[in-house]
Amino acid sequence: MKLWVTVAFVALASAVRAEVLLSEEEIQQTLSFGPWPPPIQPDPSNRVSNDPRAIELGAALFDDPVLSIDGAFACASCHNPAQAFTTLDTRAFDRVLLDRNTPSLRNLAGLRWYGWGGKSDNLWAASLHPIIEEQEMAHSKESLKRAISESPYVNDFEAIFGEIEGQNPELALVNTAKALSAYLETLITGRTQFDDFRDALERRDLAEAANYPEAAQRGLQLFLGRGNCAFCHNGPRFSNNEFHDAGVPYFLSEIEVDEGRFGGLNFLLSSPYTLDGDWTDDLKKQGAWAVRNVRRSHSDFGIFRTPSLRGVAETAPYMHDGSLDDLDAVVRHYNEIDTGRLHADGEAILSELNLTEQEIADLVAFLETLSSATRP
Amino acid sequence: MIRWLVWFLVSSGAAVACEAAGQRMSSEIRDAPAVHVAFNEIPLAQPFSILLTVCSEIAVSELRVDAVMPAHQHGMNYLPVVTATGDGVFRVDDMLFHMPGMWELQVDFEYNGQSVSYTSDVALK
Repeated sequence: MKLWVTVAFVALASAVRAEVLLSEEEIQQTLSFGPWPPPIQPDPSNRVSNDPRAIELGAALFDDPVLSIDGAFACASCHNPAQAFTTLDTRAFDRVLLDRNTPSLRNLAGLRWYGWGGKSDNLWAASLHPIIEEQEMAHSKESLKRAISESPYVNDFEAIFGEIEGQNPELALVNTAKALSAYLETLITGRTQFDDFRDALERRDLAEAANYPEAAQRGLQLFLGRGNCAFCHNGPRFSNNEFHDAGVPYFLSEIEVDEGRFGGLNFLLSSPYTLDGDWTDDLKKQGAWAVRNVRRSHSDFGIFRTPSLRGVAETAPYMHDGSLDDLDAVVRHYNEIDTGRLHADGEAILSELNLTEQEIADLVAFLETLSSATRP
Repeated sequence: MIRWLVWFLVSSGAAVACEAAGQRMSSEIRDAPAVHVAFNEIPLAQPFSILLTVCSEIAVSELRVDAVMPAHQHGMNYLPVVTATGDGVFRVDDMLFHMPGMWELQVDFEYNGQSVSYTSDVALK
């Protein structure tokens, strides 16, 4: 009996202590990170977006090495569904060691740019390029059409896109990519501990909101304030989907650099597979304003797209080159950032944060609540 | 910074007694015509439009629009598209503020043989 009274007292004391630490302004800022999941609209540039047949075909093709010239790789080889659609490798390794870390493929529907350098403005183009990239799947348009024609998927393909024999190889390639895209649109991270907290704040249910760990709340306060994180990691996806200099070296070797957004724009502006091109299914060309009006700048060199932080605890290693092993290392990178590595004439956002060890741990605790799999 | 340049030859300006909606922009040029900017709530990191009204009977030309974040030393990543709708009114599309904070909206044009500039602060949460 004495034990039960003690336990009840401790529980009561802990319940009384738990509280919402955020100011009213911080609460309002927090609401902007939701609701989650967001409503997803079909992609008007892809006529098979949201088509169950295309989603099923896309899922099957994603897992099948038929999309690589020699049957050596499937999309899932590097974007492993069991590892949050990425891998634990620092940099992707296909036929050769690639320049960048493999991005996760979740929450991709409706973005303005895709890839670390933003070389695509739509998901079907982002799905198409690896198929014909020599260092990745290495198909030609002709070999891909032949592979699909001879595969077990040909009947499903033709049920959606018509007889493949009458399609020129480029159309067969685009159709394949659009089926993949229809599948990828369905990959959405689940609700998290943070979302429960955010929604409780919206309902003004402070008792419920107080269940969110205080360490995570303190980390969120840093995220919104002194950490400067929310300048770029904002909105329900925790990303503004634009490009920034995070102070990570972009030298691949003594004589090679990763051009980042600079190279991405070069690729994009010469690509036939944009929302302003002939392969979009959207006659109104919605979304094409971005590729038409995007600005070029010498500071595009070596900057990279802001990654979403949804599910971030599941996608180590981090940064465009996978050079940081865990979230603790990421926070310490920004905490001790070498401003000498930033563009001299670039944006002036990052500086040393001077966080304490407790604050670093709090920020990591917050980031971990953005994943379905949270710490016990 | 590169700026979007639009060549306009507007046949007639707005009436002098301009009753434009929105906030009046600031100019350091004495006797510069009043310019008002109107917009709905600005979404973070999403495209939006604004409406500019130049209160002058004299036509303006070469109207340019831009925006910068002075504290961060950067501007917008997209070139806004300016369309004259007549009577001194200009619609500006494809604006995008990709960060929260204080932005400075900048407008300038040729007026009566001289270049006049305007600014207006816009806070984005």
